[in-house]
Amino acid sequence: MNLYLYLDKDTPIHRMDPRAKLFVLLFSFALPLLNQHPLWVAGAFAVILAYGAAARSLENLRRIRQILFFIFIFSTLVWTFFAKGTDVLIWRVSRQSILYGIGTGLKLDAMIIAGMVFLSTTKNEEISQGLILLGLPYPMAFAFSTALRLVPTFVGAGATIAQAQRSRGLDIDSGSFIERVRKYIPLLVPIFLTAIRSSDGLAMALEGKGFGASTKRTFYLRFKWTARETVVVGLFLALVVANTYLTLTGRTLIRGLMK
Amino acid sequence: MREMFTMWKNTKMVMLTALTAAVYAAILIPFKGIPIIPGITEFRPAQIIAATFPLFFGPAGAWGLAFGNLIGDFFGTLGPGSFFGFFGNLFQGIVLYKVWQALRKEATIKSGKDFLHYALALIVSSAACATIIAWGLEVLRMLPFAVLGSIIFLNNAAVPIILGPPLILLLYPRIKKWDLLWTEVMDEDDISPVRRPAVGQTLTWAGAFGGLVVGLLISTGAYGAKLAGFGVGSYGVGVQIGLVPFIIALVVGCLL
Repeated sequence: MNLYLYLDKDTPIHRMDPRAKLFVLLFSFALPLLNQHPLWVAGAFAVILAYGAAARSLENLRRIRQILFFIFIFSTLVWTFFAKGTDVLIWRVSRQSILYGIGTGLKLDAMIIAGMVFLSTTKNEEISQGLILLGLPYPMAFAFSTALRLVPTFVGAGATIAQAQRSRGLDIDSGSFIERVRKYIPLLVPIFLTAIRSSDGLAMALEGKGFGASTKRTFYLRFKWTARETVVVGLFLALVVANTYLTLTGRTLIRGLMK
Repeated sequence: MREMFTMWKNTKMVMLTALTAAVYAAILIPFKGIPIIPGITEFRPAQIIAATFPLFFGPAGAWGLAFGNLIGDFFGTLGPGSFFGFFGNLFQGIVLYKVWQALRKEATIKSGKDFLHYALALIVSSAACATIIAWGLEVLRMLPFAVLGSIIFLNNAAVPIILGPPLILLLYPRIKKWDLLWTEVMDEDDISPVRRPAVGQTLTWAGAFGGLVVGLLISTGAYGAKLAGFGVGSYGVGVQIGLVPFIIALVVGCLL
């Protein structure tokens, strides 16, 4: 089973320069955040969904649908009680706090979906490469991409160790909370030691291949910023600018919401 | 905090960062399905790594936590909160190893006094993480500080306080034998010494724990002495501006 969300498809968005996808991601976060009123947030939500549909990545919504559902319910409930409005309906609940709650729930979902679309269209190595092109120092990007590659290995090792310890009689489902937590030690220690032990060998292998010997590097993956990238990023930037103007003029706010 | 930057020229430290991040993410991911605050935080037994690896690997442990948390978010919860999650986890690691560095202790627990120091270091590092993330999400108006701050703090500290000491006792001798303690891996010249431990610790505590307490007070409205004042506090500008001095104090505390 593939742990990551990446979908191997041939769409213009998949083929875009990772820097452009990172900019679109940032603007996709900004769009819902700029609005208060749920109708405006729904507009931003629709833009993100349309972008996801163009990338043919909305099938991943199935994988995160539970998270999205709970986020929406939780945020709506929390803000319904925490936010304050002028038209009080009952106790702390006002018309404005309900609207704000729904808006925030939609906002969070929209941003999670934006993140999902980015991860569905961008390979791990493209993310690292994009970050390097944006100025992240190579060793940092290397550590990040190595970690990304090692995660499935350690998840697999964890599952194997858990099965091995259970077959030796480890019962992690019985006892008090503290007892159960303590029973995780026989699972954790072998995972940690396997990981830590390999670091020495990996470091030597890297140095043997000249890691860090030269400050100027060349890369196998190369990306080109074309007119397509400029148009897509420009479109999102224009939406953010227009939305900022509307927010500053008070059109996307909830009237009567108190701070 | 010079070592946070100089460590990147040391290949072993780079690998320790990657391994810490990978293990942290690998344990975070299976528990994404048990959310405490959906999309923001979940039951995190992986915090045991946040409470041990920075002691052994110092800056590599801290960067590893930051990257690992971000990778964990790649499994369905990547959002603007991930930005603050990155820095919250980074500072959780920094505060833990800096406190230990200031105490000039070995990265293990040999006595009741060591355990007390460890528990206090764990509390302040957990508070640092909670303050930064809860403040960040309050700035973005995603969740109230009162809801998030307390939950992240308890989530960060609860499991490690039980599991941390036995795990440290089990791991320390092996890591020391393999010469992987950060103070042995890095050149002494690349590590900034703790110049003013008393001032640094005071500022770190004031920034991290003070920030958390003040944030909760402002956010819940308890400063107005209203019993069960849930929902009557400031959920906006009060927390956003009120906590800035605390976060500055936390950063300065780490620098000293």
